[in-house]
Amino acid sequence: MIKIENLSHKYKNRDEEALKSINLHIKKGEIVALLGPSGSGKSTLIKCINKLVKPCSGKIFINGVNILDLKPRQLKEIRRKIAVIFQGFNLIERETVLKNALNGRLGYAKTLSSCFNHFEKEDYDIVEESLKSVSLWEIRNERVCNLSGGQKQRVAIARALAQNPEIILADEPVSNLDPTLMKDILSLLKRLCKEKGITLIITLHFIEMLKKDFQRIIGLVDGKLFFDDELQDYLKEETLKKRLEQLGYI
Amino acid sequence: MNIIKKITKSKYRGVLIGILIIGIYYWAIRGTETNLNSLVKGLPFMWDFISRMFPPDFSNIRLFLLKTVETLQMAILGSSIGALTAFSLSFFAARNINHNKIIYHFIRTIFDVCRGINEVVWGLIFVSMVGLGPFPGVLALSVHVTGALGRYFSETIESVNPETIKAIISTGANKVQLIFRGILPEVKPNFINYSFYYLENNFRAATVLGLVGAGGIGMELLTSMKLFKTREVLTILIIMVAVVILIDRLSAYIRKKVLKLENIQ
Repeated sequence: MIKIENLSHKYKNRDEEALKSINLHIKKGEIVALLGPSGSGKSTLIKCINKLVKPCSGKIFINGVNILDLKPRQLKEIRRKIAVIFQGFNLIERETVLKNALNGRLGYAKTLSSCFNHFEKEDYDIVEESLKSVSLWEIRNERVCNLSGGQKQRVAIARALAQNPEIILADEPVSNLDPTLMKDILSLLKRLCKEKGITLIITLHFIEMLKKDFQRIIGLVDGKLFFDDELQDYLKEETLKKRLEQLGYI
Repeated sequence: MNIIKKITKSKYRGVLIGILIIGIYYWAIRGTETNLNSLVKGLPFMWDFISRMFPPDFSNIRLFLLKTVETLQMAILGSSIGALTAFSLSFFAARNINHNKIIYHFIRTIFDVCRGINEVVWGLIFVSMVGLGPFPGVLALSVHVTGALGRYFSETIESVNPETIKAIISTGANKVQLIFRGILPEVKPNFINYSFYYLENNFRAATVLGLVGAGGIGMELLTSMKLFKTREVLTILIIMVAVVILIDRLSAYIRKKVLKLENIQ
């Protein structure tokens, strides 16, 4: 599904490389947690997978296609299958929940009609289903600026689901939420991905949430791959503890 | 350069900056011959002028109202054409949307030229091109508004949160969709506010344009002043202030309706 080869990236205004020769292979439907201290390159890696950041070198294969070689039109087609959920929600605050969720259909919709908010019935059906799955259908006409942090992140999840994605990249999706909401949102995201067979790569800072459902944890330190473990049930607790100690979380 | 660095780092920096500011004001006051004495001496003449304005003379009110409507039409057309042109060009002058530096600098220069030349000067240019009347006024306002709003619009677009742009791009949207679905909803309130501000501003500017032959109430104001019909001058000023207040109230109402401000908490 996702294959990363020798991926390196250096930001223009920084001396240190943000990513150093990363090699990864993530299978379809996997639920992966990406861990690491601040500045370890987690967000850069996530953004590279959708080419929101263009890496300096390396290859990123999505379903066998190197996205770094794609022309803009082909890249857009790939992007619509890779949804991104951001830490700061990144919604259009003045617009309604429905309009924000419909933005998830932009990659599929006709340019002119979508600009004037005219979408196909199929688009509306998909958006309705996504909003219902995050329990926001009832407040679809509410403006996003009037919602709570948890509701906003659910809108962002609905937008991601509206893309009918094969992959969801979630960059610290719960960092801006209070602890109760964190658990709810994370459980919701994992449940939806499991149900729909979506590959989920999620960067996390809060380790309490790792104990359930994650099949794999990947650790990054100073832009390098520090560990990459499959978490089988019998060694889950032990491996997790050891890895978190190594990263300085505990 | 070293002296400047030493001064800016000195512990007397505050005092030096203070002296510099006072120096600038002294220089400006001397240059403009600003003098409180002259103002006080002139007070009786001012009082005489104002007292001759009363009571206002409404005998030509019909003509003045017709000319005011003409001025308003100039302002509406000039603002609308200018705002639409500025809107279309502003995306090419925003670094976060247009990455082509040549086009970016070209459009920015057009805005600078349009804005850098005053409406009155544009008025004079267009009067010499298309003759007297309100049409050169409309052209003058359109060109100036294009420059002014173009800069505001493009800078507003540039201030849109780059993360919001990334979020829309990440859905597979193209640039047109990004503009209409991601950028426009974010900048719409500012665009509308600036446009209405310029409508009000252009009514005042259109009045001044009348003084250079571009029609409207300004021409009547100039005639009345030249003929020392001070009571008519007051009538015209009353009409102008009334229209400005009316535009202000109307634009506030339309802004409220368009932006649905009542829904924002």
